[in-house]
Amino acid sequence: MLLLRLLGWLALLALVAGTAFWWLTMSRTLPAETLAAMPAGDAERGAALFWVGGCASCHAAPGAKADERLKLGGGRVLKTAFGDFAPPNISPDRAHGIGAWSAADFANAMLMGVGPGGEHLYPAFPYASYARMKLADVADLWAYLQTLPPIAETRAARTALRFPFSVRRGVGLWKRVFLSDAPAVELAGATPEALRGQYLSEGPGHCGECHTPRNRAGAMDTAHWLAGAPNPEGKGRVPNITPGGKLGDWTREDVVYFFQSGFDPDYDAVGGSMVDVQENLAMLPDDDLHAIAAYLAAVPPRAGAPQP
Amino acid sequence: MRKLSGLLGAFAVAGTAAVAADDPVATRIALMDANGAATALAGGMLKQQVPYSPAAGKASIAAWEAVAVAVGSFFPEGSEGTGHSKASPKIWQDRAGFEADLAKFREAAAAAMKGVGKEGPPDLAAFQKLAQPVMGTCKTCHETYRLED
Repeated sequence: MLLLRLLGWLALLALVAGTAFWWLTMSRTLPAETLAAMPAGDAERGAALFWVGGCASCHAAPGAKADERLKLGGGRVLKTAFGDFAPPNISPDRAHGIGAWSAADFANAMLMGVGPGGEHLYPAFPYASYARMKLADVADLWAYLQTLPPIAETRAARTALRFPFSVRRGVGLWKRVFLSDAPAVELAGATPEALRGQYLSEGPGHCGECHTPRNRAGAMDTAHWLAGAPNPEGKGRVPNITPGGKLGDWTREDVVYFFQSGFDPDYDAVGGSMVDVQENLAMLPDDDLHAIAAYLAAVPPRAGAPQP
Repeated sequence: MRKLSGLLGAFAVAGTAAVAADDPVATRIALMDANGAATALAGGMLKQQVPYSPAAGKASIAAWEAVAVAVGSFFPEGSEGTGHSKASPKIWQDRAGFEADLAKFREAAAAAMKGVGKEGPPDLAAFQKLAQPVMGTCKTCHETYRLED
């Protein structure tokens, strides 16, 4: 009798916990009225967002150069402590890419980290940064993606994560705690140029995803914003790019020249995964590069993040 | 006197060779530092922050070529992760790929060296034409074979 009663309580407890988990991890999409107000995008403006967003770095074939970077059939697998993330085909192909998506589907993916079936996307797709983007910019980027060649193939590589990260539903919990469209750092008295740079860097440019250390849950630690981090893919460190790091000695012209040419003020050539980022940034208008440089000069200086 | 300086010269070369054999890490870092300095001179002239001179243009290109032919010899097995080397383990995991990227640098530098002439490239435009293909090869190799920070 006692046992039955105990079992009953346990069942109830499991039901409550399950319901709570289910409720807490539900996917949230943009409100219908927000989506209804989404403007028609402009592909030309979207091109600049494509380069600052670095879409090709993950979604084009590894090592792609020039026009090959516009073929978004899926890219190099990102090997991390959580497991392997395989960037999917985001070309306009209807069967293999995202050609069958609506603009609203795209906005929900970019800003809310939700796929068209309502499933959570893993934040290796940097929507924790993209969430700061303006809806109009997302519309422009969507318009630009439509102009790219459809790629009718799906790469063999699959996302394969360790438990518990393999439970996609759990991402909902992560998003409840960490997903926000608030700026990563407060820039008191910043110029409009620096604020423009903040938008580009913290939003579409997603600089923090590599240059900011992560906490145990894999979220960016804003107390050490851009202060450098371990290389998520192996040896070496991603540098501190606050004025507390070596950029403290660079002029803004040095920063812009680095983005354009790949050479730092000592004429050391860019290396590692930053090569691809630099080549993307070199496609941007000068004004935007100056804005990013102004932002990097304005962020709170940090000493290098603690070494593990 | 001439004999003495010749002797000293031989000593100096022998000394260098000894460092190169004993400490490949120090040697490749010194070579890459020279490479960087040659590029800084070239970049300063291209940005017109340093006045152009044909001899300086030639010095940059000649230094690149010297590094390009030499540096590949100073990444022996077992020299990974020593000193403050930023060489990536991928050099030893994919030797053929590393050699292929180095060959691009060597070919570009050799092609530039062919065009410099006795006095060096006469003007900045001529120098730019020779130098830029060489400077474009740096990050090809750094992308895969040099660690960040």
